[in-house]
Amino acid sequence: MIECKNLVLGYHESLVEPFNLKVADNKWMGIIGENGIGKSTFMKTILGVIKPISGSISIFGKNIGQINDIISYIPQEREINLSDLMSGLTLIKSSYHGASFGLPLLNRKLHNRALELLELVGATKYQHQPFNTLSGGQKKRIFLAQALINDPQLLLLDEPLADLDPSAKQHFIEALEEIHKHKSLGLLIISHDMHEIASHLDGFIHFKDKIVHSCVELPCAAKDTYVGI
Amino acid sequence: MWAYDFMRHALYAGLIIATVCGVVSVFVVLRRSAFAAHALGHVSLTGAAGAALVGISAITGQLLLNILCAIIMGLMGDKVKKNDLAVGVVLTFALGLGAYFLFLFQNNYAGSVMSILFGNILAVSSQQIYILLLLAVIILFTLVVFARPLIFASIDPVLAKSKNVAVKFLAVLFFVLVAITVSMACQIVGALLVFVMLIIPGAIGMQWGDSIYKIIFISVIVANLTIIIALYVAYYFNLPTSVCITMILSLIYFLGILRGYLRYS
Repeated sequence: MIECKNLVLGYHESLVEPFNLKVADNKWMGIIGENGIGKSTFMKTILGVIKPISGSISIFGKNIGQINDIISYIPQEREINLSDLMSGLTLIKSSYHGASFGLPLLNRKLHNRALELLELVGATKYQHQPFNTLSGGQKKRIFLAQALINDPQLLLLDEPLADLDPSAKQHFIEALEEIHKHKSLGLLIISHDMHEIASHLDGFIHFKDKIVHSCVELPCAAKDTYVGI
Repeated sequence: MWAYDFMRHALYAGLIIATVCGVVSVFVVLRRSAFAAHALGHVSLTGAAGAALVGISAITGQLLLNILCAIIMGLMGDKVKKNDLAVGVVLTFALGLGAYFLFLFQNNYAGSVMSILFGNILAVSSQQIYILLLLAVIILFTLVVFARPLIFASIDPVLAKSKNVAVKFLAVLFFVLVAITVSMACQIVGALLVFVMLIIPGAIGMQWGDSIYKIIFISVIVANLTIIIALYVAYYFNLPTSVCITMILSLIYFLGILRGYLRYS
């Protein structure tokens, strides 16, 4: 459950008017709106990377920042520092328990779990291939498997379909469908290609003119509010 | 040749430093912190020159100044890749200070400067070996404790930050570890060539290994073998050890490039 009360987002200046929002567990929500309107800031606030200007936000009844093990995030832009021979499998294993201390001991259970997830997202074929040689679409599927390694209850995706060709977009959406079938987890997805995934979603959060509209159960009462669907 | 005390001391000191550099260099390459390692080598020169001026041991001066500069670099820079400006500013300041120290330190100028710049592994005392061992234990223990978040933050810093991993703290901690390693390695290869031990073993590991453990293992083995071979070559051909270390590591690295080229062609 995501619950926002009189939440005001922003770095120094508020990006939106105070808003309330309730999203039930395991719901798949699309976040839409123009660039720079606060969508990514909303995700970073959920993650606890940015503090809200005012108001409160709780995830599964806990304050933000206390629950990082059960939230996973696929950022829009990232910097991956892997050597030329390191594979997607190495990337996935390196992030497992990355927030805790000690040596990352070799673990057969973790290895098998990473392989299962790679199969789930359809990336088995290139799991041992050097990561730097993969296409954009293949990397996105590795990121998806990586995001699932800690068994999250909430997955945040920031523009996962950006920079993908139509075929790669289709493959990524199929991977999301597979996850939907096999996992019970909530999902928030920011996308400008919402028409392509709208049929898989339970509702929308729409940032428009500093106001946050939400529709947590389809069909929405005022569909025309939701542009680009 | 091992009958001589100075050769045995050189071997012990070399193996301790090679092991630490083998591990740390993997992270230097992974985090693209080569410039920081290079800069800290130059800062060592100032540290050693300053130490000589005030009458303390070279390694103490190097440790103090290197750690101070490492903390400033870590705090000033935000992301690992965007750290160049912070490193450059600290490097410039330290080099200027070093030049001034050397200007004041003209009595025994040539010999001391050569020793600081190029190191002298054959002059390592047994007391220095104990200091190197203590520093090595501190570095390796710290790396074991922080291995998981450091690997995560090095490979995927944006995601690590989103998981509230203390990326900034790790950057400072890592620079401090590099600073200590540089102070140690300067005893052998000197301030100018310290870069070699902090970059090439890790880079060679990455040419042959596909996981962190394999890379670290290869890097440590290569660094240690290089020290042993370099000591033999230096002894029998009467060459400076630091030059032999540099040449051997560079040769192994170029062999790796050749292998990669042959494989893909």
